[in-house]
Amino acid sequence: MTATANLLAFLGLTATLLLVWRQSWPARLRLFAVQSALLAVLATAIGVLAGKWALLGVGAVFLVVKAWVIPRVLWRIGAGAPVRPIAPGHSSGIALLVAGVLVVAAYVIMLPVNRATELPTEGGIPLAFAMALIGLYLCVTGRDAFGHILGFLVFENGIFALAILATYGLPSIVEAGVFLDVLVVVLIMEGVVAQVRREHASTEEARLRELRG
Amino acid sequence: MMLLVVLAVPLAGALLLARWRGGLATAVHAVTAALTLAAALAVALAVHMDGVLTALDGFLRADALSAWMIMLIGLVDGLAATEAPRYASGRFYPLFHLFVFTMLLAVTTDDVGLMWVAIEGTTLASVFLVNFEGTRASLEAAYKYLLICSVGIAIAFLGTVLVYFADIQLFSDEVDALRWTTLLRVAPRLPPRVMELAFVFLVVGYGTKAGLVPMHTWLPDAHSEAPAPVSALMSGVLLAVGVYALLRFKPVVDLAAGPAFARRILLVLGVASMAVAALFLWTSQNFKRMLAYSSVEHIGIACLGLGFGGAWGVTGALLHLANHALAKSALFLLAGRIRAAYDSAEVLAVRGLLGPLPRTGGAFLAAMLALMGLPPFGLFTSEVMIFGAGFREGRVGVAAVGLVLLVLAFAGLLRTTQTMLHGVPARPPVHASRGAWPAVPVVVALLLLLLTGLAWPPGLARALDRIAAVVAG
Repeated sequence: MTATANLLAFLGLTATLLLVWRQSWPARLRLFAVQSALLAVLATAIGVLAGKWALLGVGAVFLVVKAWVIPRVLWRIGAGAPVRPIAPGHSSGIALLVAGVLVVAAYVIMLPVNRATELPTEGGIPLAFAMALIGLYLCVTGRDAFGHILGFLVFENGIFALAILATYGLPSIVEAGVFLDVLVVVLIMEGVVAQVRREHASTEEARLRELRG
Repeated sequence: MMLLVVLAVPLAGALLLARWRGGLATAVHAVTAALTLAAALAVALAVHMDGVLTALDGFLRADALSAWMIMLIGLVDGLAATEAPRYASGRFYPLFHLFVFTMLLAVTTDDVGLMWVAIEGTTLASVFLVNFEGTRASLEAAYKYLLICSVGIAIAFLGTVLVYFADIQLFSDEVDALRWTTLLRVAPRLPPRVMELAFVFLVVGYGTKAGLVPMHTWLPDAHSEAPAPVSALMSGVLLAVGVYALLRFKPVVDLAAGPAFARRILLVLGVASMAVAALFLWTSQNFKRMLAYSSVEHIGIACLGLGFGGAWGVTGALLHLANHALAKSALFLLAGRIRAAYDSAEVLAVRGLLGPLPRTGGAFLAAMLALMGLPPFGLFTSEVMIFGAGFREGRVGVAAVGLVLLVLAFAGLLRTTQTMLHGVPARPPVHASRGAWPAVPVVVALLLLLLTGLAWPPGLARALDRIAAVVAG
C-alpha cells in the first residue's frame, strides 16, 4: 500500500512539474487530464487496499468530472487563445526552479502532519501538498484566463490528493459538494471568459485593468 | 422544524421565481423576503427562550451564535429586498434568494464540511449578481471575485481537511467527525501543531470571504459594481458569514493549541485591515468603493475585538458586526439611489447633492455619522467595548494603534462625505427620485442603530453573553 500510494503521488507530482515546464496550452491541458486520471487511480487503489469502498465511487466520479468533463470545458476556454501565450525562446527555467522550492517548502510545512500520524500513506502527503502549492503558484502567475483556471484546478487536485492520502476520503456529502462546486466554478468561468472574449476579442486578462485603487 | 422553515422559505422562493417571470414575481419576491425575515426572527426568539435548536438529527443546529447570524441575515435581507424591485429583471430575484439561502445554510449547519460547501455556494450564487449590469467594469469585478474567492475557499477546504485528519485519528466515526459539536468535544486531545497549521489555512481561506487584508482585493470591485441590494447583502452579512466560519474553528483551535495563537493572528490581520482601509478611504474617488473599503475597516475592527478576547472583546465584535450590517446596508441602498439619480458613482459628479436631494442626502449623512462611530448610534457602543477590551486585556499598544487608525479612517470618510453633500452642485441629477417609500428601510436601520446605541432592548445583554460563551468554547 505504501509503495502504491507513494508511486502514484510521485507520478502526480511529475505530471504537475511537466505542466509547469510546458508552454503550449493543449499540452498543459493533456497533462492536467493525465494528472486527474492518476489521482482517480490513487483514490481507487487506496479504496481497494484500505477496504474503503466509498472511495471507489469517488474515484469514478473524479475520473468522469476531472479527467473528462472539465478538460472538455477547458478545451473550449482555450480554443480562442494563442497556443503559446509567450514568445518562443522564453524558457520556463525560473518557474521550474520555483516549483522545486515549493516541493521543499511542502515537506517543511507538512512536518506536523507527518509527525501526527502512522498511516501507511503518509509518505505521499507532502507530495500532494506540493501539487497544491504548485497549482496555487500557476494560478497566481497565470498569464490569461486559461492559466488561472488551470492553476486553480491543479490546486484543487492537490488538495483532493491530500484528502485521500491523509483521511481516506471525506464524508460523502462534503465530497459531493466539492465536485459540484468545482464543476460550477469552471462552467461559470467559461461563461465569463466567453463574455470577456466577446467584448475584448481576447482572453488576455491583462486588459481587464479598469478597476483600481 | 423551525430551522427547516427558515431554510426552506428562501429556497422555495428562489425556485418559484426561477420559473415565474411575470408581473407576480415582485409579489412573490416580497412575500419570500417577509417570510424569511419572520422565520429568522422566530428562530432567534426560540433560541433565546429554549437554548439550542436542532433539526435533521443534529445536522442542522442553531445555538446563540447561529441565531445571531440568522437574525442578521433576515434583517439585512428584509432591508435590501425593498430596493430589489428597481433591479428586477431576468435572474435577479431567484439568485437574490438563492444567495440568502446559501448564507442561512452556512450558519445553521453543525457540519463544518457542509458549512464549507454553503460558503462556496454564496460565491456561486452571487457572482452573476455582481455582473448583473453587464458592463466592462462589472465583468472584471465578477471575474476577480470568482477567481479570488474560489482559490480562497479552496484554501479553507485544505484547512477543513486537516481538521478532519486530526479528528479521525482520535475519533473514528466518519459521519459525525466534521460536526462542530464533536470537534469541540475532542478538541483538547487534537494534535496542537496540526490544528495551528489548519487554522492558518482556515484564516486565509475564510478571511478571503471576510475581506481581511491582504486577501481583500476582490472586495472593493465586487461591492462597488454589484447592484445596491446585493452590495448591501455582501457588505452587511456575507463578510460576517466569513467571520462566523472563523469563529466556529477558533474555540476548537484554542482548546487544542492554547488561545494565544489564534489571537495573535486575528490581531495582526485586524490592524492590517484597518491600516489599508484607512489609506484607501483617503484616496477613493468613487463613493461605492469608499463604502466597500469602510467594510474592510469594520471587519478589521471586529477582528481586533475577537483578538483582544475577553467577554467585552467578543460581545463587542459580534455587536459590531450587527451594527455595521445595519449601517452599511442603509448606506448602500442610499448610494444606489444617488447613483441612479446621477448616473454616476464618482464623488465629484454628485457634489453638493444635499441641495437637489435633501431627503436622500440627509439620510446619507445620518447613516454616515452612524458608520463613523459617533454617538448615539450603536457603532459607538461596540467600538467602545472593543477598544475597552483591548486596554482591559493588556493589549495597550495594539489598541492605541487601532484607535489612531480609527481616527484616520474617520477623517477620510468625513472628508468624502463633506465633498458629496456640500459645495456647489456639479450638475443637477439626471433622474428625479420618486416617493417616500425608499426611506423606510433606511429609517428602520437607523432606529435599530439607535436602539443598540442608546437603550439595549431587554434580553440583548443575555443573548450577547451566551454568544460569548459559545465562542469561548
